[in-house]
Amino acid sequence: MAWSDQIIQGLKDADISLIAYVPDGITWRILGKMEDDPFFHMIPCSREEEAIGIISGAYTAGKRGTVFMQSSGFGNCVNALATLNIPSRIPFPMFIGMRGGPGEFNMAQIPGARAIPGILDSLGLQYFSLTREDELDQIIKGGIALCYAGRLPVANLLSTLLTGGRDA
Amino acid sequence: MLRVDAIQSVLDRVNDEPIIANLGGATFHLHNLSEGRDANLYTWGAMGLSSSIGLGVALSAPDRKVIVMDGDGSLLMNLGSLGTIARQDPKNLIHIVWDNHQWAGTGGQPTHTAGVTDLATVAKGAGIPKVEAVSTLEGLEEAFDRAMTEDGPWCIVADVEGGDKPNRPEVSLEDNLQRFRKTFAP
Repeated sequence: MAWSDQIIQGLKDADISLIAYVPDGITWRILGKMEDDPFFHMIPCSREEEAIGIISGAYTAGKRGTVFMQSSGFGNCVNALATLNIPSRIPFPMFIGMRGGPGEFNMAQIPGARAIPGILDSLGLQYFSLTREDELDQIIKGGIALCYAGRLPVANLLSTLLTGGRDA
Repeated sequence: MLRVDAIQSVLDRVNDEPIIANLGGATFHLHNLSEGRDANLYTWGAMGLSSSIGLGVALSAPDRKVIVMDGDGSLLMNLGSLGTIARQDPKNLIHIVWDNHQWAGTGGQPTHTAGVTDLATVAKGAGIPKVEAVSTLEGLEEAFDRAMTEDGPWCIVADVEGGDKPNRPEVSLEDNLQRFRKTFAP
């Protein structure tokens, strides 16, 4: 199964149907399929932090959702994670289409992407780098289980080694 | 119109509808006026996100009216949420903005709504179908009563006096979250 289909199936298996996102070329290979799938309720957002607010609100009302973003947008999320999700223990899985890795052509994409693991470490949040299709299913399912058991956000970093980058 | 009287008036008009309160004065007043009300969700950070949190609740509980008590400084930080709300079109969302024209929690510095920015016009421009600007308690009550019975989404921008200093309550965020979640249990 293609990497995008594995992620979609992992979300369905965990009953995660609300999808809040700011689009980018990498994650759109998943989101574009979801837009055509009635299982999912798609919520395009103006900003990544807003997407976290929406999915957090859904959790407070007993529904599961996830957030898709590009690595450049992760910096917009830090205050929400630090002042809402961590202190209130509101979990959600997030998927970050990584730029700034092998094949990057835009130098403005590099510093923010490189900072993400350090920021997540500083916040005490767990993350997994998705690089290979053959281990994807295990990491997605395991990460989602971990997220709700620990009641904290978990980040899945979609490496260019998996996705081929923006122009793949 | 005093914010504390306006919040009490809303409380007098609800049963068990969820209320999501912005950080600072909205959370402090709501807690002090209705301590023990499980359907209150307080925020202590996440400035700007109460409208987004409310949208997530409204989409997840479409059969219940969902009330957000926002502030002008916070909404100015997340104006994009008005467009997202309009696009999602949740009929059950009632977004109230307590507009005191100042960042009250940081010393009363004037916000952009102190004479320049009109949030009701912004909400209309974002595509919110039901927008009311009110400046009296009677006006608020009339708009809120309509919002409780007519489809939204609603945005009610309520002009309130600045300068109030509600007591800061002690709230466990985790306890608040768990109690709020239980109100949605099937």
